[in-house]
Amino acid sequence: MVPPYPTSFLPLPQAQFHVLVTLTHGDRHGYAIMQAVEESSDGVVRMGPATLYGTLKRLVDQGLAQELARRPATDDDARRRYYQLTGLGQRVCAAEADRLARLVRVARTNLRPGLA
Amino acid sequence: MANQYRLYRSLTRLYPSSFRREYRDDLVQHFADLAADRGLRAAWIRSGLDLAITVPRYHLERLMTEPHSNIALNIAGGLLVAGGLATTLIDSWVGLVLLAAGLGLMATQRSALARALRVPDSSRRRDRLRTAAVLAGIFVTSYATFLLTVGDTWSSSDTILALVGTPAMFGAVGFLLAGLLTPRGPASDPLADPAC
Repeated sequence: MVPPYPTSFLPLPQAQFHVLVTLTHGDRHGYAIMQAVEESSDGVVRMGPATLYGTLKRLVDQGLAQELARRPATDDDARRRYYQLTGLGQRVCAAEADRLARLVRVARTNLRPGLA
Repeated sequence: MANQYRLYRSLTRLYPSSFRREYRDDLVQHFADLAADRGLRAAWIRSGLDLAITVPRYHLERLMTEPHSNIALNIAGGLLVAGGLATTLIDSWVGLVLLAAGLGLMATQRSALARALRVPDSSRRRDRLRTAAVLAGIFVTSYATFLLTVGDTWSSSDTILALVGTPAMFGAVGFLLAGLLTPRGPASDPLADPAC
């Protein structure tokens, strides 16, 4: 099977990128991912339950994230499913971050030429 | 509180069965976490809005990506053929177009080309839909020009417009179907070594 090329996933939908960025901090379950996304976006991005799990499903289907068989925290609810980034997910996340960084650089140059 | 969870749980029946089977417990757990953290009202506002947006979206995605799409496309093709036959009695031109679109859809559905089209590739999907939009624009422009300039006799400019507009119309339908049949997904890496 031909391995997918990271840039072929770009541009990532906003929700997918937020979830991938959250998973770069470590393995998390769905509700913790939602909280982290809200926190990292200063409350701007608020994901509903089905949006979140639909996004996770897509990431898992594409091989960018995977469900953990074990539970990281022993005292946590056993029913919760934890997710982690795959190697491909990390590369795609990095590629999207680079793409956005270039875009931000252009925007800053165009909007504030003196400060660039 | 338990009633509210039960109500939300029963509302998750609205999702496609594959999604529901896999994530129903997670959705209800998520709703319960939201209610515990931020109150029942906030949980309903967020989950209710989310439900209203994602239910139609996930059904549409399922229709376009799962084998069920075969059934949906066959039904659409059958309806177009039936509509085309019925409309031929009133307006032969519109009826023939509908008939051709229906037969084209059904043929495309069964052909090897259809199987090839279903290889997930987001960029090809975009290209095909963009081409369909351009061809549709050409068709609309030529048809509008034809309507504005048509006289009592058939002129050479009418012939030119028909020669441009008709293929553009069929091309637009073809590329639109091709684009819609192409599932979203990553393109293969052309530089990657298949042996890896």
